[in-house]
Amino acid sequence: MSTTGDSAQPISGPTESGKECSDWQALLERIPYARHLGLEVQRDDVGLVVHMPCREALIGNFMLPALHGGVLGALIELTARVAAQSQDTDKRCPRILDSHINYLRSAQARSTFASAEIVRQGRRSSLVRVTCWQGDKRKPIASGQVQLLLPTMAAKEADLHEQ
Amino acid sequence: MTESNRAQHSDAVTTAWQFTEQVPHGRDLGMQVVSVNGNQVCMRLTPQPWMFAEEDTQEICTSVLYSLADSAGGLAVFAGALELMPIATLDLRMDYLRPAIGDRALVAVATCRHLTDEVAFIHCDILSESDSALLATANATFMRNTQGQRFQAGGRKKEGA
Repeated sequence: MSTTGDSAQPISGPTESGKECSDWQALLERIPYARHLGLEVQRDDVGLVVHMPCREALIGNFMLPALHGGVLGALIELTARVAAQSQDTDKRCPRILDSHINYLRSAQARSTFASAEIVRQGRRSSLVRVTCWQGDKRKPIASGQVQLLLPTMAAKEADLHEQ
Repeated sequence: MTESNRAQHSDAVTTAWQFTEQVPHGRDLGMQVVSVNGNQVCMRLTPQPWMFAEEDTQEICTSVLYSLADSAGGLAVFAGALELMPIATLDLRMDYLRPAIGDRALVAVATCRHLTDEVAFIHCDILSESDSALLATANATFMRNTQGQRFQAGGRKKEGA
């Protein structure tokens, strides 16, 4: 009998996955706003997830209470950025071009998690789909698509000329 | 326009304005409501170094603009509807046209474009205060009258508020 699991995700060894996790954490820690939000990288049974612990400053409706829609926007955009950057061989810092986020369920005042799926990583751009959940991963609270631009040498030269 | 025109509004808009200024995340980012004129809302945010997207550049993280657009859009629903009811963002699409530099205040101008019994369509522009450069645009759809179970439970406790 085959021992191969039917999981679609590549299974990597503990050292490799540990390195990937610390890579993501290092990329997140370089973002001042990600530090302000308290984002941290964790690993679940499928892959890397970004955890956003709940605190009062993240609340958008204190009567419910519920998280602010913009806080979920930040979790999705920053997760997409770190996922795209970690995939890039040169670790270029991507610029977020646009993001489109759908809110699926109300976001309660509790821990929120996000996972990223790279839809396409090209030479100049990257499209990342991010899903957010709270208690139950099968019940996502928000889903977003983020388009990112990876800087090229030509673009950098054009920037220098402009300055 | 910097002078607040809060006093001249209907009760619903005044309450929504006050509610917007009490939102913990809005307070954390330092969002202020500048004005409400008809179906148009103007809000303002002064960037702080902890809002940057990277250590070594002065660029503000796009997500700060996203939060400002979501808040201004929410208030614009009340400016358009002129009645208080619970609302929820259904979706929001942002286009980041130019980098937002940290030494300039951000201004959001949100307009309620169309209103039905159930839905509000909002457009929001984010501008740089000093030179009025368009930094980002947003289109959002809000659901109106979202009376979820948890809201009703919260509403009973706060009855009359």
